[in-house]
Amino acid sequence: MNPVEPPKEELVFSPAILILSQDLYPRKLEVVREYIQNASDAIDSFNAIAPLIDDNSEPVIKVSIQGRSLLIFDNGIGMGGDDVAKLRYIAYSEKKTGEEAGYKGIGRLAGFAVAEKLKITSTCYGDPQLHHFEIRAKDMREEISQNKKRGVIDPASDVISRHTTISSTPAADPKDHYTIVEIRDIYESCSELLDSTRLKEYIGDVAPVDFSPEFKWGTRISQWLRQDVPDYSPKTVYLSMLNGERIKVYKPYVDSMSISEPHPIAVRDPADPDNMLALCWYATKGQKMLDELRPSGKIFTVDGDGDKKRFAGLVYKLFGFSIGDRHLPVKTLWDRSFPRALWFTGEIHIIDKQVQPITDRSDFIESDARARLYKAAAPIPSTLNQQAQVISYNRNAFRDGENFTVKLQRLQDRLRDKSIEKSELKSIRADLNRRLVTLRSRVDHCSDPAIEKFGKGVQKFAASVQKELDDAKIMKGGDGDIADVARERKMTSQARRVFEIIMDTLQDYYGSDTDTYHEVAGKISKAIRKKY
Amino acid sequence: MPAQRDSVFHTNPNKDFVRSEYDYAHVERWYRLRGERLNYFGLPAPEMLDIIAWEKFLNRFTTIEREENQQHLMFLQANVQDVEHRLYSLYGEFDEILLKGRDQHGRRPEWPYDIVNLDYFGGFIYQDLSRPKAIKKLISNQVDFQRSFLLIITHHLRDGDVIGAKASFLGDLRRSLKNSTVETATRNAIDRAMDWYSDPSTPDSQRQTLLVNSFLRDTGEAEHFDVLCRPAVLYSGTGNASMTHFVTDFTFRAGTAHKTSSKQSLFELVDLGTQEVRDARLIKSAAKAPRLSGN
Repeated sequence: MNPVEPPKEELVFSPAILILSQDLYPRKLEVVREYIQNASDAIDSFNAIAPLIDDNSEPVIKVSIQGRSLLIFDNGIGMGGDDVAKLRYIAYSEKKTGEEAGYKGIGRLAGFAVAEKLKITSTCYGDPQLHHFEIRAKDMREEISQNKKRGVIDPASDVISRHTTISSTPAADPKDHYTIVEIRDIYESCSELLDSTRLKEYIGDVAPVDFSPEFKWGTRISQWLRQDVPDYSPKTVYLSMLNGERIKVYKPYVDSMSISEPHPIAVRDPADPDNMLALCWYATKGQKMLDELRPSGKIFTVDGDGDKKRFAGLVYKLFGFSIGDRHLPVKTLWDRSFPRALWFTGEIHIIDKQVQPITDRSDFIESDARARLYKAAAPIPSTLNQQAQVISYNRNAFRDGENFTVKLQRLQDRLRDKSIEKSELKSIRADLNRRLVTLRSRVDHCSDPAIEKFGKGVQKFAASVQKELDDAKIMKGGDGDIADVARERKMTSQARRVFEIIMDTLQDYYGSDTDTYHEVAGKISKAIRKKY
Repeated sequence: MPAQRDSVFHTNPNKDFVRSEYDYAHVERWYRLRGERLNYFGLPAPEMLDIIAWEKFLNRFTTIEREENQQHLMFLQANVQDVEHRLYSLYGEFDEILLKGRDQHGRRPEWPYDIVNLDYFGGFIYQDLSRPKAIKKLISNQVDFQRSFLLIITHHLRDGDVIGAKASFLGDLRRSLKNSTVETATRNAIDRAMDWYSDPSTPDSQRQTLLVNSFLRDTGEAEHFDVLCRPAVLYSGTGNASMTHFVTDFTFRAGTAHKTSSKQSLFELVDLGTQEVRDARLIKSAAKAPRLSGN
């Protein structure tokens, strides 16, 4: 069926243009995503025909800033004169739902709300002409607003025609194929669109770009995605920085974020397990343990300026573009244990294209497909919650083992220095036993063989220190291993009783805070030796 | 990264020759002299033919464009040529931007520059003298950074030029030259040369060349630059417009108190004359003033 031409009788009126252009993108940076999405679709379309015309040019999307203009260039399929003329049509798209990222035909309006003008120039392969489209957004919006105040409502087509210009000029080379969008004279209130650092972060976060070469797990995750997500095709996006440097934009994950080994989860339709609906990859914040980066069991944070938790949680991806933020999977998949969802970072690439985003891409349209996806994705929270528990056990076993090792080494040093007081012995033994029991329990729950081995080694170490302690003798006349200030200072039996009562009381008082108790006990012994 | 194109647009064979051969050689020479890629400032038009032709010698390029659609096409061309990240495009009139220090968006040129290419649409001297004033400002900005530079100027020969200004200039130059010598033979030679320049039958291109070169020399020397002028290159541009083209070295000389005295003498400058582009070759112009050098 041929594309439907707009009806001759006007059925849409000018305020609709304002509604469609102004109310859809509360966050100004989303404007960039709309144009990158069009560029990405154009590249996919060109890639389909490139082998037929022997074109080996590298498909690229380039974003740059000049003055108060934001420019998005792509060497995708480009547009002929007819296509450019159709840029005036609102909500008109020949893209088929589920086949390309953009299909609603209103994304090109995104620039209306942020700038005075929108200029688009394009040509397609074999076309000897460059086609120019300009829409004077500010003038159009002002006219619509003023007329509305006066009670005049024009047909949308008349207003659009008045404020748009379409023209063609000879192109340089009929083999050229590209489109450039200039969002010109961007308003001061939308200056984030002119901040290359913000753009780099935003594009890396939402666009279908590749993993950074500085992320060692990127290759492995890409392999999973290429294997199971049919439309996974990261685009090359270059961004010009203000200093004249041009950078390639990557996803935000880099090794310096200390990301531990990632894992995949295949989301399958419960009614048809052969039908994969999505592929999720996840990883958690790593911490150096036993010379390796292991899951730390903490909220996924990053260093630097801005929101340190901005990569905490998973993000939905459709055609490689982010849908919603990292709270959306938490809201839609988790029913409890929210904090643990934020221990992880990762992506859920949706394969089922019947799942469609709402226009501003902050959520999905309510549908059977969405319900099926959410239901099928139940293994994601359950796996991650289980993983969180496992991580927690492993981390606690390592942390307790590490702390206990320090404690044991210190104790061993003191024993060899003969600086342990008899009055501390009871407390030291109790502390050792308590820690040993706790560590045993942690190691029993531990699933990381290396940490388990480490924990068992610490237990052995504790047993050897305990034996050293048991074998130690109370000092008598200069011989022995354990100091006894009462004997040393020849306390009377009554004084000794009082001293023991005081020390027992203090030990009870400090309870499990044995370090403080030992510090106080040491000070008391020192004071007694000084005085007597 | 897409490969850059080997060929550039061809506009006018004479202009192409000047850009791709004559200027190219000077830009390459300046690049070798500086030992690093050059920062460019100019009026390249949307096609940016000069930038593309000299690209391998250039670092960043600051361009000025006064027309919105043309600037949009320049952005397109920069992307197509894969140099968009090196482009810093100012919006407005060149003279205004130079004199006010910023463009219509409040952006400033990234001083200093190594090569300045002013391909003017129109003449050099208008009633308001905005172009010479802007060039003075340009030279003064360069001296703030003590940066030597290559200045390339192209303009239409007649458009808007002020006849009276040239007559007055020639009178001043005659006095200045004669004040520099007491030798009768030399003074007579000066009179002969100046009479030739003042003669209405002498092609205006000769007067214009002398005027622009003298202006550049005087302005440069006042700002501590040793100025090396060259014979102007005359050619027929698009639409048969008579174009005059200058390539001038401005070499900063540190430690000069009041003004610099260029190695090229004023007599040598008067004798420079002009060259013409014919059939993609550079030839000496037939019109020639009586020589001063050697007297």
